[in-house]
Amino acid sequence: MTIIKLAPKRAFKTPVNAQTITPDAFQEKTMSEIAELHVWEGNRRRKLGELFHISEEKTAGSESLRIEVSGDLRKVRWIGAKMTTGEIIINGDVGMHLGEEMEGGKITVNGNAEAWLGSMMHGGTIEVKGNAGDYVASAYRGSTRGMNGGKIIIHGNVGNDAGNAMRKGVIIVHGNAGQFAGVNMHDGAILIKGNCEGRMGADMHGGKIVVCGHVKSVLPSFTIEAVRKRVKFEGEPVEGPFYLFLGDLNTKGKGKLFIAKNPNQHLSFYEKLL
Amino acid sequence: MTVVSNVTCPVCGSLCDDIELVVENNRIVKVRNACAVGEAKFLGFADPHHRRVKPLIRKNGELVEASLDEAIRRSAEILAEACYPLLYGWSSTSTEAIRVGLELAEEVGGVADNTSTVCHGPSILSIQNVGIPTCTLGQIRHRADLVIYWGSNPWNAHPRHLERYTTFTEGRFQKSIWIRYLTKLQGLIGRKKAERAAELVSPRKEAMPQTEKVEGLPPPLKAEERKMIVVDVRKTRSAEIADYFLQVKPNMDYELLQAFRMAIHDRELDVDEVAGVPVELIEEVADVMLKCRFGMLFFGLGLTMTSAKIRNIDAAISLVRELNERTKFTIMPMRGHFNVTGANVVFTWQTGYPYAVDFSQGFPRYNPGETSAVDILARGDLDAALIVASDPVPHFPKKAVENLVKNPLIVIDPQVTPTSFMADVVIPSAFVGIETGGTAYRMDHVPLPLKKVVEPPETCLPDEVILRRILKEVRRLKGMRTA
Repeated sequence: MTIIKLAPKRAFKTPVNAQTITPDAFQEKTMSEIAELHVWEGNRRRKLGELFHISEEKTAGSESLRIEVSGDLRKVRWIGAKMTTGEIIINGDVGMHLGEEMEGGKITVNGNAEAWLGSMMHGGTIEVKGNAGDYVASAYRGSTRGMNGGKIIIHGNVGNDAGNAMRKGVIIVHGNAGQFAGVNMHDGAILIKGNCEGRMGADMHGGKIVVCGHVKSVLPSFTIEAVRKRVKFEGEPVEGPFYLFLGDLNTKGKGKLFIAKNPNQHLSFYEKLL
Repeated sequence: MTVVSNVTCPVCGSLCDDIELVVENNRIVKVRNACAVGEAKFLGFADPHHRRVKPLIRKNGELVEASLDEAIRRSAEILAEACYPLLYGWSSTSTEAIRVGLELAEEVGGVADNTSTVCHGPSILSIQNVGIPTCTLGQIRHRADLVIYWGSNPWNAHPRHLERYTTFTEGRFQKSIWIRYLTKLQGLIGRKKAERAAELVSPRKEAMPQTEKVEGLPPPLKAEERKMIVVDVRKTRSAEIADYFLQVKPNMDYELLQAFRMAIHDRELDVDEVAGVPVELIEEVADVMLKCRFGMLFFGLGLTMTSAKIRNIDAAISLVRELNERTKFTIMPMRGHFNVTGANVVFTWQTGYPYAVDFSQGFPRYNPGETSAVDILARGDLDAALIVASDPVPHFPKKAVENLVKNPLIVIDPQVTPTSFMADVVIPSAFVGIETGGTAYRMDHVPLPLKKVVEPPETCLPDEVILRRILKEVRRLKGMRTA
């Protein structure tokens, strides 16, 4: 395996557009060729080697490529954008648009990630050990096509609008989620193990959202369907019991919203309608 | 003494264009037809306490007077050297100046953003998501028989909006409800007088029997004539004028809008009340919406800047779209600054995007949340800023302001503002719409000419001229750098 290690030479003040930090761009390139790749620092065009220390390490085993980026990368955006193969490991907090439109491979973040993580991704896996910002796996402004495949696992919390206009794929959040998880979603599945600030599945057309923690309320455009003992998520059972809501009726949607019963006693009045 | 008529008022998005000004010795001495806010601006704009006439440059930590050429040269140097400058403001200047500003933003590879980023930015995002069924204010004046103000208080924020375009205007097909309102007001005054008299006779609180709250909607809403509904979190002055006031719990407008969408399709709700409003009432108001011949929904910052933001507007526009399946209904944002609509229009025709446009990579890119002014400032991404006709220091979050003043700051503004005190270069300009002409866009996207009524001080040039000179200087410096 080839491991290419990058570390910022200095702290960045302005945003750095690092779309070239992907295994696809690094593949079959020498170290000097990699250092010549272009990145943008604000409105200045720079070479990768000007901004990052780059080193190479070869280990026995497969011929795959792994990129390890370490340091304060909060201003570095678009790492792993459109990647199709290989692996990226980020040690530290990373900026926006990580893994945008990625099609394959794996990204692991040992830190926090900012907004638009895995936006409009088609395939591959992103795992964040810390928290993620708003618009995880979402569609861009004006687009109705969000995440279209792949898997995102967040061990911490996520912000608002996770899985906006999602079409396919899986999002698992071990912590809490903000508002509007799965807004406008068409298909795919979202599991939130913590609490959710509410308005889950607003205007959803299809797909599945499971919330294991507390929610403030359910939107008036959802209707109660049943109480289920457990729900299957990616083939594995998640123990309940869960209230099953259907909606969003405003979009004539057939989405399924599972809300854990025990932490949400304030929703018990819905049971009268069953 | 001369009388200048048909002047457009450069204060709010209503852009009243029937103002008459009496000018004597290059001073405005009398204002006719304007509201209190407009009159205060026309009469008080030249007050030396609020007006700056000399350019300033910060030297050794202090702002000192400088020549215009020196201020322009220093501004150009700051912008040409910057890696990620922010060019913010634009909503209180003319479209001609905004056009030059965008050329400058492209030349210096910066981010151009206008004040809609902190007011109706979410509305624009929603319009891109959902579309917008709208019309001009003239159509509303003549035809609208149901006017809803949601999260906006026109009586205070757009004082002549009711009188010129909606409820109190005499349209060709719709009569004003002015007399109905006066009758209601007289009734209220009479009742208060009676209460006071009763208290004097027998000073007990229960002297006057309280009227029982009437269940359901008041009779005017069932009538054929023009009707007005206000939805807000508190009973504002506009709400007192309205035929019906619907009080929504703070930050729960989204739920209420979604409930209305359910109600107009006769879908059953599983709950008894939504956002503090009983479901029966929601159904009754939904019936009023469906039975009107031409409805209009005006929404303000009570909808765009509360919880759910763009989703509120998504829901409001979707509601209007669905109402159009049964009747005629339109929607319009209540824009604040007099040319904020113009800023969006010029940004769109020049770059393809209405605000938060990033030119750093040589082409326009747009992603509010990332390229919008408050977010750039809060993260501290910028390394210089140019503020034109705006005052972010007292209005932006503390962290954003800290990052704004930490970096070189240029201010072009005719007024003495807190932002100008924190700047490194201050260039005073002429008041647009009073001392210099131009074009501005009304909230319904109708362009109106702004008039030059009095001569500006010699040292105050129009924003457009100042920006053009900075642009020329930047190009000269960049040419030198490339060479």
